Amino acid sequence: MFKVADAPLDGRVPDGPIADKWDNRKNELKLVSQNNKRKYDVIVVGTGLAGASAASSLAEMGYNVKAFCFQDSPRRAHSIAAQGGINAAKNYPNDGDSIWRLFYDTVKGGDFRARESNVFRLASVSGSIIDQCVAQGVPFAREYGGTLSNRTFGGAQVSRTFYARGQTGQQLLLGAYSSLMRQVGAGKVTLMPRREMMDLIVDEGVTRGIVCRNLKTGEMEAHTGHAVVLATGGYGNVFYLSTNAKGCNVTAAWRCHRRGAYFANPCYTQIHPTCIPVSGDYQSKLTLMSESLRNDGRVWVPKSADDKRAPNEIPEADRDYYLERRYPAFGNMVPRDVASRAAKERCDEGFGVGETKQAVYLDFKHAIERDGEDVIRSKYGNLFHMYQKITAENPYQVPMRIYPAVHYTMGGLWVDYNLESSVPGLFVLGEANFSDHGANRLGASALMQGLADGYFVLPYTVGDHIGKHGSSLKPLGNDHPVVQEALESATSRVNSILAVSGTKSPDSIHRQLGQIMWDKCGMARTAAGLKQAAEEIRALRDVFWNEVKVLGTGDSFNQNLEHAGRLADFLEFAELFATDAWHREESCGGHFREEHQTEDNEARRDDDNFCYAAAWEFQGVGEQPVLHKEPMEFNEVALSTRSYK
Amino acid sequence: MSGQGMNLTLRVWRQAGSEAKGEFRFYQLNNVSEHMSFLEMLDVLNERLIKLGEEPVAFDHDCREGICGMCSLMINGQAHGPDNETTTCQLHMRRFRDGDTITIEPWRAKAFPVIRDLVVDRTSLDRVISAGGFVSINAGNAPDANCLLVPKQDQEKAMDAAACIGCGACVAACKNASAMLFTSAKVSQMALLPQGKPERAQRVLKMVAQMDEEGFGSCTNTSECEAACPAGISVDNIARLNREYLKAVVFSDEGV
Amino acid sequence: MNWLRCALSSSVGKKFLMAITGLLLCGFLVVHLAGNLLLFAGDEAYNAYAHKLHENENLLHVASTGLALIFFTHLYLAVSLTTENRIARGRGYAENQTKRENLISKVRPESWMLATGLGLLAYLLLHLADFTFHWRDVSHYQGLEPFDKAASLLTDPVTIIGYTAGFAFLFAHLSHGMSSAFQSLGLNHPKYNSLIKWGGIGFALALGLGNFSLVVWANL
Repeated sequence: MFKVADAPLDGRVPDGPIADKWDNRKNELKLVSQNNKRKYDVIVVGTGLAGASAASSLAEMGYNVKAFCFQDSPRRAHSIAAQGGINAAKNYPNDGDSIWRLFYDTVKGGDFRARESNVFRLASVSGSIIDQCVAQGVPFAREYGGTLSNRTFGGAQVSRTFYARGQTGQQLLLGAYSSLMRQVGAGKVTLMPRREMMDLIVDEGVTRGIVCRNLKTGEMEAHTGHAVVLATGGYGNVFYLSTNAKGCNVTAAWRCHRRGAYFANPCYTQIHPTCIPVSGDYQSKLTLMSESLRNDGRVWVPKSADDKRAPNEIPEADRDYYLERRYPAFGNMVPRDVASRAAKERCDEGFGVGETKQAVYLDFKHAIERDGEDVIRSKYGNLFHMYQKITAENPYQVPMRIYPAVHYTMGGLWVDYNLESSVPGLFVLGEANFSDHGANRLGASALMQGLADGYFVLPYTVGDHIGKHGSSLKPLGNDHPVVQEALESATSRVNSILAVSGTKSPDSIHRQLGQIMWDKCGMARTAAGLKQAAEEIRALRDVFWNEVKVLGTGDSFNQNLEHAGRLADFLEFAELFATDAWHREESCGGHFREEHQTEDNEARRDDDNFCYAAAWEFQGVGEQPVLHKEPMEFNEVALSTRSYK
Repeated sequence: MSGQGMNLTLRVWRQAGSEAKGEFRFYQLNNVSEHMSFLEMLDVLNERLIKLGEEPVAFDHDCREGICGMCSLMINGQAHGPDNETTTCQLHMRRFRDGDTITIEPWRAKAFPVIRDLVVDRTSLDRVISAGGFVSINAGNAPDANCLLVPKQDQEKAMDAAACIGCGACVAACKNASAMLFTSAKVSQMALLPQGKPERAQRVLKMVAQMDEEGFGSCTNTSECEAACPAGISVDNIARLNREYLKAVVFSDEGV
Repeated sequence: MNWLRCALSSSVGKKFLMAITGLLLCGFLVVHLAGNLLLFAGDEAYNAYAHKLHENENLLHVASTGLALIFFTHLYLAVSLTTENRIARGRGYAENQTKRENLISKVRPESWMLATGLGLLAYLLLHLADFTFHWRDVSHYQGLEPFDKAASLLTDPVTIIGYTAGFAFLFAHLSHGMSSAFQSLGLNHPKYNSLIKWGGIGFALALGLGNFSLVVWANL
């Protein structure tokens, strides 16, 4: 199903002891002088935490920035939906936290599949992120004395999570958005909302710009510059049902992949344990309930599989608090992949609750008895409110019903230590890259990574690229052959979708794709299932190109066409996903292969054969991709079996 | 479950483009489950329209969990429908009865021109923010986070204001299409926090000036915005904006 | 003074002016009512008050000019803001209903401010017609002392209907206008908010009933 490249892939990690690597790299990077920065244009695609922070930081430094997003405003990017919090090794609670511990927890939480040096840099800039956000006016929770408050999150034994009620992502994004809008007001950033990136412009191997479709008018536009920064989020919607926003898509990343950027570890998908269960076949998306709820909620199922009693009538003796039973040290606070698999195991064994039996209870009875309803309301009021609106049940009185759902994708475009992809001049940030979370992301770390990349890493490394190539890159006009070619290819793709006059709506095909992915590439995978999935995906791609029905025209506001375009890319991407999952003959983090598990159903890694990042090179649709292996070396944290017992 | 759903008549605003003349069209939708969200109901309608060869109804939506602020819709004359503190994506069909006729219109305001069907252009709100809804601090410039002590009650009030999702329901519900609740939420957040103090006066003056320039109406204190706001933003913020404005005009050096 | 012009022509500045002129007019109404309530004290007290008031004609001219200025500012702003606000809405809704939940809001006095204000204007014209400009045939009041003139005028059927309607408009206008003026001036605090709201309605009621009591008194 694939070919393997001969030479290992080099992550271009700087020399020196791990704590000095980032400083060493910064000292080597080329600088662009203040007067020259205004001569250079940087394109930033995506305006979530990573994109908005990068765009505003670059503009503050003096570059001319164009910021693109498909939504009507940069403030809508899906970072906004993150609820629980953001990690930082500030050690304000004086409970023994340190940069090294955050680094250690993240490497271990990622099941030893992340690049150690990246994770250390992430941990070491984490404190500055909090400083920056507070200075912007982000209203983090406070103690009565006026200092910042912290809470505990999964996979950690210290309190290092900063939060703004259950809306941390919203507040951080609005902080980054406000900085971005300040630069828009100052004329340093040109905002391009309602634009979908359709292609990457590459000339002589160097990134020169993008082609995007103006979603309001349908016009195809080319924008060129001296560097392109991709911060377009994850691809969880390949599963159709996920906690991602409906618009989240792989298109921008996939288009870059088709132009030569390697795609790394696509199979690493995070299935979040606490989501509201599916209620019917009309379901359009799933809603997350923050992991922070596990601080006070206890997860359980009845001890007897055919217990028909209402949850409140089931006495303590007949309840199985299975996380506390299996993982006494971490209890309800085990990492997400562990909690999700444990829930699936209970439901598969027939202990699930609710109408569909595909749910477990998350119970706040004890917390309410201990702290009172008011305390619980002040911590989680908005989440309880949301739960009640969706299910019409009052979680202060009856336990929540929860089930795992696709939430985050650790895989993404391959980047080196400088966050530069395999196409020079194309930088990839946040969820869109693969770098920091390995095979599983810890809670409250996505916000940290997005902002670290945008505020404190990219602004340095973009300068290096521009310092080296900037003066030799002559502006490309719209009539330049590579620009023309990219414009034509994007236009013809839109036209060919419109030309298929079939009978199936994009949504119905997307649902079919989601079903294949959930059944065969979901929480538990097998070699045979994955092989079959790849075949089914190929067949479904044919269905799409022969039977899809998209009404309307290409030169107007056409949401159906947008969806079809994104789906077309998901259908190509999904095959790579299945191939990657099939090739990785081990279980690690969010990738669980049934063939590779211990006797008590825990994941079994194979460090001898798979301790690498799998970076795939595109060879054509339906062609065998080429696998480049970047070895993951662990010099600081010894490779060990994760245990949360 | 089948056969037990509701039968609804939808009266939907259809408009092919910003310059086109719009009109209401009626659609009959049967067997709607009460567990569906309002947007899922529109998804079902659109799937049916595609089958029939009619272009689906365009409507803005994204996160579908009530936080991104992308969804809108005037439902039976109420912004985001009948529930308080609820976005359209969080509104469920159990709020409606079998046989209901539901009128669905786009937000109406001069500052929110219609793009297509139920989709409007709300970039005017972004421009209000870019006029002053920020703290001027460059990345890398910040002091340690705990250098600034913020009294818990101030932080709570600032957070109440900061919860605004920028959906524009306040403008839609206001008889004057005023954006005062939106603008005041940002002004309040910054006025309540020590970080916002240095730019306090110019912020409120510039944001109000931009708000006027965008063509929003003025506030006549009807509180319709507060009732329609899915994030529960209080009109107390509008009073705070007025106070900030008065202080800025009378006492600050701005405009000298 | 460019800054002042800018400030007062902004939407928030206009609302300041609206609130200040409104409150000043309320102050005038309180004084005016207090004087008129002397009708209850008998003809001597009332006549003395009325003569005292007209003793210094120059002062009276200054005061009425100031009052007229305040009044016309309030009126001008009302019309201009309402016009701007209609333009800001553009095309209206086919259906529109409030999401506010309490009873007062269903009546929505705030939606009728221009209408009740214009009603008040009509009442004012009637009032001035009789007492200032003598537009109506007043031959049978000629030479009467102020007390007798008031008592007799208030029994005229046109006056009874016109004034009663006028005081109803006054109540409706102020029931929103008072608390709204406080809100526009930023005078708001959780401790006093309900006092401002209910105090405003109480004030409106007191002014409406106080004035109406004179009509009742004259016709008993």
